[in-house]
Amino acid sequence: MTKNLSAPNLILLGINHTTAPIEVRERLAIAPSRLADATRALAHQPGIREAIILSTCNRVELLTVQDATHSENPGTLNFLYEYLNIPASDLQPHLYEFREREAVRHLFRVASSLDSMVVGEPQILGQVKEAYSTGREVGAVATTLEGLLQRAFTVAKRVRTDTQIGSSSVSIASVAVDLARKIFDSLEGKTVLLVGAGKMSELAARHLIQQGAASILVANRTQSRAEQIAKEFNGQIIPFGQLYEQADRADIVITSTGAPEKIFGRSHGQQFLQRRRNRPMFFIDIAVPRDVDPGMNEVEGCFVYDIDDLQQVAQANLADRGREAEAAEAIVTREVDKYLQRLQTLNAVPAIQSLQQYAEAIRQAELRRSQSKLANLTPDQREAVEALTRSLTAKFLHHPLTGIRQAAQQGDAQTLADLQRLYTGQSAPKPDPTDED
Amino acid sequence: MSLLWLRVAVLLYAFASLAVLPAALYDRPRWRHIAIPATTAAIFFHFVSLIEMLNAAHHRLPVDTHETQSFLGLVLALAFLFICARYKTVSLGIFILPICFLLGLIPAFRPGEEPTYFPHLHTGWIFLHVALLLAAYAALFLSLLASLLYLVQERRLKQKSPAFKWLPPLETTDQIALKTLLFGLPCMTAGLLIGSVLAEQMIGSSYFLDPKVLLSFAMWLAYVGMIFIRRHSGLRGRRAVYLSSFVFLVVLAVWAANQLSVVHRFTAP
Repeated sequence: MTKNLSAPNLILLGINHTTAPIEVRERLAIAPSRLADATRALAHQPGIREAIILSTCNRVELLTVQDATHSENPGTLNFLYEYLNIPASDLQPHLYEFREREAVRHLFRVASSLDSMVVGEPQILGQVKEAYSTGREVGAVATTLEGLLQRAFTVAKRVRTDTQIGSSSVSIASVAVDLARKIFDSLEGKTVLLVGAGKMSELAARHLIQQGAASILVANRTQSRAEQIAKEFNGQIIPFGQLYEQADRADIVITSTGAPEKIFGRSHGQQFLQRRRNRPMFFIDIAVPRDVDPGMNEVEGCFVYDIDDLQQVAQANLADRGREAEAAEAIVTREVDKYLQRLQTLNAVPAIQSLQQYAEAIRQAELRRSQSKLANLTPDQREAVEALTRSLTAKFLHHPLTGIRQAAQQGDAQTLADLQRLYTGQSAPKPDPTDED
Repeated sequence: MSLLWLRVAVLLYAFASLAVLPAALYDRPRWRHIAIPATTAAIFFHFVSLIEMLNAAHHRLPVDTHETQSFLGLVLALAFLFICARYKTVSLGIFILPICFLLGLIPAFRPGEEPTYFPHLHTGWIFLHVALLLAAYAALFLSLLASLLYLVQERRLKQKSPAFKWLPPLETTDQIALKTLLFGLPCMTAGLLIGSVLAEQMIGSSYFLDPKVLLSFAMWLAYVGMIFIRRHSGLRGRRAVYLSSFVFLVVLAVWAANQLSVVHRFTAP
């Protein structure tokens, strides 16, 4: 029977959006201002050597490295119940626990945004980094978590560069920005016209400004509301009566009025394009009923997207992300294997050193025992005997050392222990019989 | 030796043509970092091969069909690298790099045996004449390609199609189409002027009655007309493609007219 070697006593305990409703998550959430204190408190629990806490709106996870003697994970459970003051009965049904290999895998998946509510969203990596920084600041991160988290960041970066998991937008506002960039490339210096004042149009405008859109024009039937939005975006008001005279100043028009009739018709598009000398215009029509005649989309240089069009693009992008997630999962699996293999190879170092020291001690003892018989040897002959015994020892050790390395790489703890016992007479720590493959 | 370097360059173009596919179609930065250095290396070997080829033939400019073809490939590859650096897009490489590969393929593996001789070929002005006109042809080809991509992207955005997501933004292709034309115009004008002055000095006025020469001036007029229309009406999309296609056909006619030309031939008597 082979046993898997893995990260020493690594335990991840947590809840997320799939296991707990928001009522539970919000009770467990730790505010950024309290994160350092909470991490310190967790790291001081009995049996816990290293710890970090990842707390976001969708998950709270405690990643710890624990002493082997505390296999029941009492420190983490104590922390949850005592520090956060939540009854055990409330939490237990929602908690998940991963150990060793599964904990590594879960961390890599979380950092790579494969476990997120919106797969591929970029914020989670920053949040994991924040948890790591806090852990380091309070002295709760040492060798094991340092290596593991650095690896997690590398894996997350690889997933981002080798797949397109985060390349397409899945929210209406960001889809609108993506489409605008497909028309105008850079949004630097572009003008956005807001016609009407819905929440979603404001959100889209905010996204466009973040991407570099230079100026905002606001046209609204209610003057006070127009002033309010113009102030918010540092924009300029266009009187609603002058809308058709001034709309061609805008590269992107976002409409969200409650008007029962269309505000922009096909002929308006033709006029705007003529005045703009065919420079393209992008109409984002978020209003229901629609503000822009769909026929305007047929005018060369006019691009009209209504709310359904934007939603369809978002859905298609979400499906793309799902396909990319499969490739990302394969990367994570490979990286988990590589990480554990490297860890296991490192675990073999003490056994290799112990065997080499044991063989060297025997060689030295035998040389000392034969000292009287070798006393008459010349320095050259003595050197030859030294070389001969060294060479014999090295040749004798070659196969056992290779066996130890292979056993370590394959995670075969039993063979590793047997080899060490056979060749040195020492007993290696026995693997936990309850730990199945 | 020049053939060896050209073959290396052609193989590198082939490799870059394959590497640019995942780089452009699936936005894989790793492949982008392979495609661009491969193209750069191909250009280097292509350049070395061209210099050696021209030295070996005892003249300093590409004159026979294969050499011209090879030189045009080199100019296109250089243009691709410039577009990558300036517009941050490798999408055009999907088309340009295979063309560079094909333009180098025949000269590399089936080189012409036709001896080339012309007493005036040693002048630097002739070299400029040929190089400038080839640069203008390359610019026009790139402009047509960019206009076509503009058209496809425009259709895609209007039909809200999820296909061809890799196409560059409209403004990028529009800029490439216009800037390449603007680059090509002085090249073509200077190239034709230099050619005319040299022809007047060496052959006389009969040169200007040659069909190749007449078509060349028609091409220049079409080129100037296209730029004028594009700049003054902001012509984009379908009509810009029609216009570019028309001028491109004229260029092809000029190229083909070499076969009819009596004076514009440089083979040994």
